[in-house]
Amino acid sequence: MPTYKLVYFNMRGRAEFARLIFAAAGVPYEDSRIEMNGWPGEYKDHCPFGQLPVLEVDGKVLAQSIAIARYLAKEFNLAGKNNWEQALTDMIVDEFTDIMAEMKSLWFEDDPEKKEALTQKFNTETLPRLLGYLEAILKQNGSDEGFFVGGSLTWADLGLVSINDLLSVACPGSFNNFPLLAGLIKRVRETPRVAEWIAKRPNTPR
Amino acid sequence: MPTYKLIYFNARGYGELARLLFAVAGVPYEDIRVERASWPNEYKAICPFGQMPLLEVDGKILAQSSAIARYLAMEFGMAGKDNWEQARIDMVVDSFGDILQDMRVPYLETDPEKKEALVKQFVGESLPKRLGYLENILKENGGGQGFIVGDSLTWADLGVANSVDYLKLMCPNPFENFPLLAGLVQRVREIPQVAAWIAKRPETAT
Repeated sequence: MPTYKLVYFNMRGRAEFARLIFAAAGVPYEDSRIEMNGWPGEYKDHCPFGQLPVLEVDGKVLAQSIAIARYLAKEFNLAGKNNWEQALTDMIVDEFTDIMAEMKSLWFEDDPEKKEALTQKFNTETLPRLLGYLEAILKQNGSDEGFFVGGSLTWADLGLVSINDLLSVACPGSFNNFPLLAGLIKRVRETPRVAEWIAKRPNTPR
Repeated sequence: MPTYKLIYFNARGYGELARLLFAVAGVPYEDIRVERASWPNEYKAICPFGQMPLLEVDGKILAQSSAIARYLAMEFGMAGKDNWEQARIDMVVDSFGDILQDMRVPYLETDPEKKEALVKQFVGESLPKRLGYLENILKENGGGQGFIVGDSLTWADLGVANSVDYLKLMCPNPFENFPLLAGLVQRVREIPQVAAWIAKRPETAT
């Protein structure tokens, strides 16, 4: 088994997706956390794009949170059974990224009036529309005990749990009208390895 | 051989990387182009996330431009020789996603004074910073006279070359100070199938 080290700040943020994948796969790794006031420090030079998270695998370095998550998912057989299924998981994870991108443009708006208007629009239109697409995919899979792709757990389902961590703080109740998504989040969070990780992970604001 | 259909606007935009992959692989596909004025049309209902591009493979649908490009690259043997190389490719491609994200605000700004300042910041600071990291990654791959990942053409190289087309919307010569990246773009454009495609593709503003 390779030696894995995940380097990020002491928060869930962009590294939690990878941590959930390690947890679900039951694969040990060094969960290296850098305090904000220790950044940028000497580690920055190891970062291909000067940013965290970074994954070290036997000393080789990989950056970009989704590339890291996909790599781990493929190594641990959590990325679909063939190229097509993998592509479907990629598609779903890209949608989570789109949701996060919408949220980012909200956060970076300085003007309070504009921010209020954008937040309103996000909560009442954009987010429900995007979650609606994901709910429809689950519905199309034909079973309410289902997963996003291929009838078993993939990194796409873990990505939903990860984005729920974020949304439950920023937009509480956003899954209220999406019972299939809410059900999947609950089922994945309750699987033993994931539940164990959630219980023991450092408690950070985000 | 499966039947492929790519559905997008009559533009390069988020569809062009897939088109370049089909061209290099020499694989035929139906290049369906929707005029902006006639969108949304009947395709919208089959778009998993309400957006194009879409890839249809023997009637099955895939959305999200990166997922589509990655799927085609994997099918056509242009995605690296193992999981690790695939991840390094993903990392390079994702960084262009970051560049595009940075580009959005200046590109979409309508107020001329604000726009000038934002474009100046993008072209003068954030773009060169990101390109610098990419130039380094290329250099570390055997000196930078070959490909950006591994030792053969991958969709990462096509992504680098394709990026010039949209970066030119912001500045005339985006890789001016990055000789290795510029060299890679030149080599990619000189690949016969790429040159042939560029010569015959519809000419569009974006």
